[in-house]
Amino acid sequence: MSDGVSPSPQGTRPGFSINTHNLIGGLIVAVLALFFLGWAFYVPNTLIPRFLAAALVVVGIAAAIGVLPVHGPRDLYGGVALVMLATVALIASADLPGQRGFAFGPGTAPRLFSFVLAAIGAAVALGGVFAEGPPIEKYRIRGPFFVIIAILAFAVMIRPLGLVPATFLAFMVSILGSTEMRWIESLIAAVGMTLFCVLLFVYLLNLPFQLWPRF
Amino acid sequence: MSELLSNLWMGFHVAANPFNILFCLLGALVGTLVGVLPGIGTVATIAMLLPITFGLPPVGALIMLAGIYYGAQYGGSTTSVLVNIPGEATSVITCLDGHQMARQGRAGPALSIAAIGSFFAGCVATVLVAALGAPLTSIALLFGPAEYFSLMVLGLIFAVVLAKGSVLKAVAMVVTGLLLSMVGSDLETGAGRMTFDMAELADGIGFANVAMGVFGFAEIVRNLELPAESRDIVQSKITGLMPTRQDLIDSAGAIARGTLLGSLVGILPGGGAVIASFAAYTFEKKIAKDPSRFGRGAIQGVAAPESANNAAAQTSFIPLLTLGIPPNAVMALMVGAMTIHGIVPGPQVMTKQPELFWGMIASMWLGNLMLVVINLPLVGVWVSLLRVPYRLLYPSIIVFCCIGIYSINNSPTDVVIAAIFGIIGYWLVKHDFEPAPMLLGFVLGPLMEENLRRAMLIARGDATVFFTRPISAVLLSTAIILLVIAGLPKIRRRRDEVFVE
Repeated sequence: MSDGVSPSPQGTRPGFSINTHNLIGGLIVAVLALFFLGWAFYVPNTLIPRFLAAALVVVGIAAAIGVLPVHGPRDLYGGVALVMLATVALIASADLPGQRGFAFGPGTAPRLFSFVLAAIGAAVALGGVFAEGPPIEKYRIRGPFFVIIAILAFAVMIRPLGLVPATFLAFMVSILGSTEMRWIESLIAAVGMTLFCVLLFVYLLNLPFQLWPRF
Repeated sequence: MSELLSNLWMGFHVAANPFNILFCLLGALVGTLVGVLPGIGTVATIAMLLPITFGLPPVGALIMLAGIYYGAQYGGSTTSVLVNIPGEATSVITCLDGHQMARQGRAGPALSIAAIGSFFAGCVATVLVAALGAPLTSIALLFGPAEYFSLMVLGLIFAVVLAKGSVLKAVAMVVTGLLLSMVGSDLETGAGRMTFDMAELADGIGFANVAMGVFGFAEIVRNLELPAESRDIVQSKITGLMPTRQDLIDSAGAIARGTLLGSLVGILPGGGAVIASFAAYTFEKKIAKDPSRFGRGAIQGVAAPESANNAAAQTSFIPLLTLGIPPNAVMALMVGAMTIHGIVPGPQVMTKQPELFWGMIASMWLGNLMLVVINLPLVGVWVSLLRVPYRLLYPSIIVFCCIGIYSINNSPTDVVIAAIFGIIGYWLVKHDFEPAPMLLGFVLGPLMEENLRRAMLIARGDATVFFTRPISAVLLSTAIILLVIAGLPKIRRRRDEVFVE
């Protein structure tokens, strides 16, 4: 695990101290927030989310150039992401009618919970500014990448190709996610697993699957 | 009392149906399997098997899923004792003394005490579920929408307080879950909410997709990051399964205390088997005459937590079956399973579907009996399973999950949504957010909104109704007090210590 945690001097002193982690993190925040800000201008009744998105852009840039001290990056970026989610939810539910008399409208509860989430997210992020916290563990690329590709590949293949090729190929893609994979062993396992799934889902559970590609 | 007995009799009648016995056995077997294998959690497994239960009759499906939960508690101890890796989060603490016993050549007694303790706890918990079912249900029938809303708030707060890590972040996760649950059509007006005009989102985000993404896929990605561990399986043959008389005498008290503590923690919303096992171990160590023996192969250190986790696994069904409120993530999945079969969890289950209610309870006892039989003589078989390398296990889990999700609605979009939630789950862990409170919030979201809306409508828009109705006021103030206590610096430090230990 030790190589996963890279020691970084981030957040040790305020002022203009640019480090790569916060530069990347802050820029991602700023770009995403800018995108949501632009989107909000196309949707009516979005004064508050516009303000939130603008605030996030400022926070992102401030973190990137080192004006904003980042003592607990996990909390700061975590909290910022929650505020961002709340912003998106507010924009997305802006067109829904709200309270009418005593009755809640469809938009009341989503907006209510979005505000709560934004407030809590801001509190978490503030904690990340002031309280010392561990650095963010390094994101690995290989494992998540191949696992996600395998799942997406399955989703794409299942309709046109059928169960057998989709299962087999998804299995073969996902084994690439581990550094310990061996080809022959994996091939045998993939065949075995495909057979097992066909037996279980198609013959035992009688689910309507198409097994092979249709031409 | 006689009513209880006649109800239980009916339950056994249902559970003894050959098909139901088969499902119970299947659940117990699968549960033991995932319990033994480290890296596959109960939540992920139940999420994985949800689609498979579609075709089954509801009673059989729920009996099987319940079997997986308590079966995993049995299986987890085997890995803890023999390999010193917890097979389940609930048996982390069993590693401490269990593995030490194995090193001293007493793996047999450790395993059998764990099984005996679990069985005893299972029996007591079964009776408890049966006995508490009726009175709690009648209380639940007094509840109006305001009370229900407050009760759910209390349940979520319990979950937050008992989750590990920051309380604030756990609350954030609950609210995130609530918000996510609102995607889809509005309950009353049918207006599409936050659907981005995507037809696939009109029905909301599927519960199984979220669970499988956050718990299944994210867990795999996370496990892939860990270095391949060298599993030092105790190679020596396990000789003499039977514990000595002295072992039995030593552990009798620990089993009883563990069962009691576990049952209590299990009933609490937000509680569950993990916390129960930790609490029981800590308690045992506190009251021991010689605490230094713990960690060096004290049999009480195996007996107490293993009894506690099994007791808690079963009593956590109480709030689900009587109030319709899932106390933890596994129970949240059970809600999903019940809804799939058109059963709304809550007090009405007992009156409208007595076969289901009592059959499930009776099957718990039968399942526990089966587990003792499965576990002890077959220990060798389970251990050999540990030799299956993770590099072959995880691709199998992935394709299995994919097929499972796809089969729910025959929709490739669902698979993509699960993949997205896999990424979200991975990100959450990197930022110290616990996914379990999010799942709870997600499940309770629609119920909470419905009751909130109804309560407000009945009270003519007066929000103070939650504090003027007595039961609701008590529930809400308990929630607030809990939250304040958990936030106090002194308690917070103690809480951190408990979780670190």
